[in-house]
Amino acid sequence: MERETLHHMLRDMLLSRAFEERAAEEYSKGNIVGFLHLYPGEEAVAAGVINAIGPSDYIVSNYREHAHALVRGTPAREVMAELFGRSTGMSGGMGGSMHMFDRERRFMGGYAIVGQTCPIAIGIAYAIAMRGLPEVVVSFLGDGAVNQGTFHESLNMASLWRLPVLFVCENNHYAIGTEIHRHSAVPEVFKRVAAYNIPTEKIDGMDVLKVHNATKQALDRIRRGGGPQFIECETYRYRGHSMADPGTYRPAVELKAYQTWDPIAAAIRDVEFKYPTPDELAEVGPDNIKLFADHLIDDEHLAEAEVEELKVDVKKIVDDAVAFAAQSAQPTMDAAWGHLNGSHRHETLM
Amino acid sequence: MTMNQPQAHAITMPALSDTMSNGRLVKWTKKSGDEVKKGDVIAEVETDKAVMDVEAFQDGYLSGPLAGEGTEAPVGQTIGYITDNLADVSSVKSTAVEAARLPAGNGNAAAPSPVAQARVSAVLAASMASLRPSPLRDTGPATMRTSGEPAAPKIPLAAGGPRSAIEAGPPYRVERASSLREAVARNMIASAPTPSFRVTAQLALEPLLAAAQAQHYALSLLLARACALTIVAHPLFNAAYTPDGLARRDRVDIGIAIDNGEGLITPVLRDAARRPLDELAEDWTQLRDKAKSRRLAPADYSGATFYVSDLGVFSVVYAFDSIIPIGASAILSIGASGPQGAFCTLSCDHRVVFGADAARFLATLEQHLKDPAKLFAVETQQ
Amino acid sequence: MSQELLYWQALNRALDHEMAADESVFTLGEDVGLYGGSYRVTEGLYAKYGEWRVRDTPISENSFTGLGVGAALVGTRPVVEIMTINLMLLALDSIINGAAKIPFMSGGQFKMPLVVRVPGGIARQLAAQHAQRLEHTLMNVPGLRIAVPATPQDAYWQLRQAIQSDDPIIVLEHELLYFTKGPVDFVAEAPPMHRAAVRREGRDLTIVGYSRHAVLAQEAASELAKEGIGAEVIDLRSLKPIDWNTCAASLEKTHRLLIVEEDCRFAGAGAEIAATLTERCFHSLDAPAQRLAGLDMPTPYNGALEAATIPQVPDIVAAARELCRPTPETKAA
Repeated sequence: MERETLHHMLRDMLLSRAFEERAAEEYSKGNIVGFLHLYPGEEAVAAGVINAIGPSDYIVSNYREHAHALVRGTPAREVMAELFGRSTGMSGGMGGSMHMFDRERRFMGGYAIVGQTCPIAIGIAYAIAMRGLPEVVVSFLGDGAVNQGTFHESLNMASLWRLPVLFVCENNHYAIGTEIHRHSAVPEVFKRVAAYNIPTEKIDGMDVLKVHNATKQALDRIRRGGGPQFIECETYRYRGHSMADPGTYRPAVELKAYQTWDPIAAAIRDVEFKYPTPDELAEVGPDNIKLFADHLIDDEHLAEAEVEELKVDVKKIVDDAVAFAAQSAQPTMDAAWGHLNGSHRHETLM
Repeated sequence: MTMNQPQAHAITMPALSDTMSNGRLVKWTKKSGDEVKKGDVIAEVETDKAVMDVEAFQDGYLSGPLAGEGTEAPVGQTIGYITDNLADVSSVKSTAVEAARLPAGNGNAAAPSPVAQARVSAVLAASMASLRPSPLRDTGPATMRTSGEPAAPKIPLAAGGPRSAIEAGPPYRVERASSLREAVARNMIASAPTPSFRVTAQLALEPLLAAAQAQHYALSLLLARACALTIVAHPLFNAAYTPDGLARRDRVDIGIAIDNGEGLITPVLRDAARRPLDELAEDWTQLRDKAKSRRLAPADYSGATFYVSDLGVFSVVYAFDSIIPIGASAILSIGASGPQGAFCTLSCDHRVVFGADAARFLATLEQHLKDPAKLFAVETQQ
Repeated sequence: MSQELLYWQALNRALDHEMAADESVFTLGEDVGLYGGSYRVTEGLYAKYGEWRVRDTPISENSFTGLGVGAALVGTRPVVEIMTINLMLLALDSIINGAAKIPFMSGGQFKMPLVVRVPGGIARQLAAQHAQRLEHTLMNVPGLRIAVPATPQDAYWQLRQAIQSDDPIIVLEHELLYFTKGPVDFVAEAPPMHRAAVRREGRDLTIVGYSRHAVLAQEAASELAKEGIGAEVIDLRSLKPIDWNTCAASLEKTHRLLIVEEDCRFAGAGAEIAATLTERCFHSLDAPAQRLAGLDMPTPYNGALEAATIPQVPDIVAAARELCRPTPETKAA
């Protein structure tokens, strides 16, 4: 793989992590309000998948979407401003954390209803197929969505009409507080997808290179007329489901285990559960970013100093984003009415 | 049916779609006398959507009278027969003919028969129910018992009395009342629980009348002024009962009852005790004109603290009393003037004023009527 | 130049003309393709336009409506057919959380040129789960527009206008209107989609209705005319937005308002109409606005009871008569 792409992916992951951690901080200060679903731990999926698609492809995401937007290229300022509810945000302050849209970059939302990404994605794919274009739609969903009716209905229609969709399941094993074996009769997502005759793969979602390669192959199959594809990424989120959720349903041991990737080392009995700070994470052992960074250093794609430089860069971007958001204007009620009624300016209704 | 009667099973126009109400018999696929087995197609019928087969529902023989090809019939109407025995085929004529003679479009036999119509359908009843004012809850004030006076009985506030009493009499027609009449009715019902008593005095009105004519003021105006000054001396008559205590008002507003041809209305003279009489006179003229042309606004006729009602123009009325409107504690009813004066009845809310208070009030009023000079002064000291 | 067409034929022509004029228009729903549509509205289109533009879907209301939402996001013009409004309940997430909100939530970045066509109302003894009206549910959703054509001409005009619009629009049809006939002129200029139509002029009362009950109101008005009561009948043609000005102008003249609807009374469409017209025209009204509406009851299977749960022509006549009973308060015309 090209050095540039690797570098880029590491940067994406570092930016996502820094952004999300900062968002958590701003939330606790009261600058971000409402629901906030954070991504730390899952960065490899966003970075791996989105770096494999092209600018004319589409992304449909759910409410855990900030990293997806960042990796896609939306400036951190616009993402943060949206979290702050300002008029300079991606959705003009109208959507917030869960409803991010970027028309220019074909980032098609931002949906709060679990499973809603699937019908929207197959709709976009239907339009593409109808027009005979070579574009692809990526639909992100979690393991919780796998039991929603729309998931099954959409897989069925995608398969029936061979629509160009890549479904990426970010299986972090939890639907809020319910583990997958408690919410799914068949906990292996790929098995259920296979029932719709859709090629499926289950991969290690903590390894960005594996994610990237699997995505590229799936996209290739789609563009050659192979119909929809499904990738199940096994991943993990370090934080709770959202800022409102302390995540105490997960045993500390489990959390540590994923952080260290070493089950034996993780079985430390008197570990007190709390959120790991970035320092603690670094101290405990490698996480997906560190794993990747180490791998790059080992393969001589990167020097350690460069990694540190990246971290500094990324922090600057995030700081700038927060400063920008904080001094951006609030959206007006007139603007809100404009968004609601804007699309029939050319019509005489009565 | 006895053994002698021929068994004939009617074939009726079938319902072949959920929206079908009539069908057209296109043709019979069997003739009268043909053997028929259950399930056989015996005719073709055109519905609103397509041409459909009609099947036989029992074994037997197709028998007439058969409805003619091309006839239109509503769903459910008889179009032919199946008999058990070949021998019976021709004999089933008379009853069938009568049945078949039923005109096709008559009484939507297939459509759901109209609900045994009560006078008013459920839909209509629901619509009307919403227009009827719901009976007010009885929030009649708690009565305060004074010695000897029993509390007034509670009167239900629902509009209208029992219909059965009216229905037992001659035929009647209910006419919607004018909004004025309805408003007065509501107010009177609200007043009904007020415990009241009456004190009557015979008061000479000549001096007042003379003064009115001399100074070109209306008699009603001077009466109002006289009452206002009397109230200033007896402030209890300016208070009103509330469950939390007496409401003491800081000015005297006199409501004067007049008849505008349609009914009773009470324009109110504000601050009748303190304002210059000329000002009051002007107000009074305006109010009277408004009342005549039916343009009195609620602000003009609400909120009086004392009322005056004068039927003196009717010489036949020697005395009367009035219902105390809500918001006031007394009303003065003036009858026709006789040689010794007019009978003036003061009706009072016993929760606020007592008999002796009323007597003292009337004594003071008598003074003002005898000597009207004070009425013309601008400000009176209390 | 107009011809007599059935309501379903008018819809069929509208779809055909739009699909011929614009490649991005396509339709989808259950049995719309090979079968030609449960109510024949898509008859002949599959053969003409092929499977991508006339798509038979599986029974997946929420997701195929959501598919329409997604396709609309990228500039195509989907016309989703949901077989009846009863099944629309399953698709409310896509319609309300999706179609109605995406243009707004995205800060105006995306348009939603989606049409959802669906018949509703009481037909003939189809029982509770297939005999309801849900317009009140849709009316209350900001971001949606609702057309309710009562005549074949309006069906033709409004479906075409809905397809051409960039807003998400629900076209509410009625099972019992599909086989009604009326003149349809393909080339005449259409009035604005949401303008109400005065179907009959009168001076004594205004009857406001929509869909099938606008038709019944006209029948009632003919009956009333025989008794010397002149009813002005307004066919709203639209439930969102509502043409208040036409209604208010009528009430200035007649001073009496009777609203007729098939939907259940409580919080039905009539409640909004009554409230707003009372607010606007209070001083012109001689009597409170009266609503004649469906009973607050699931529709019984039994035919006679079913008929009794919704206003019929005799009910409208009786209510109008009662409303016009003279009182001393009647203002001079």
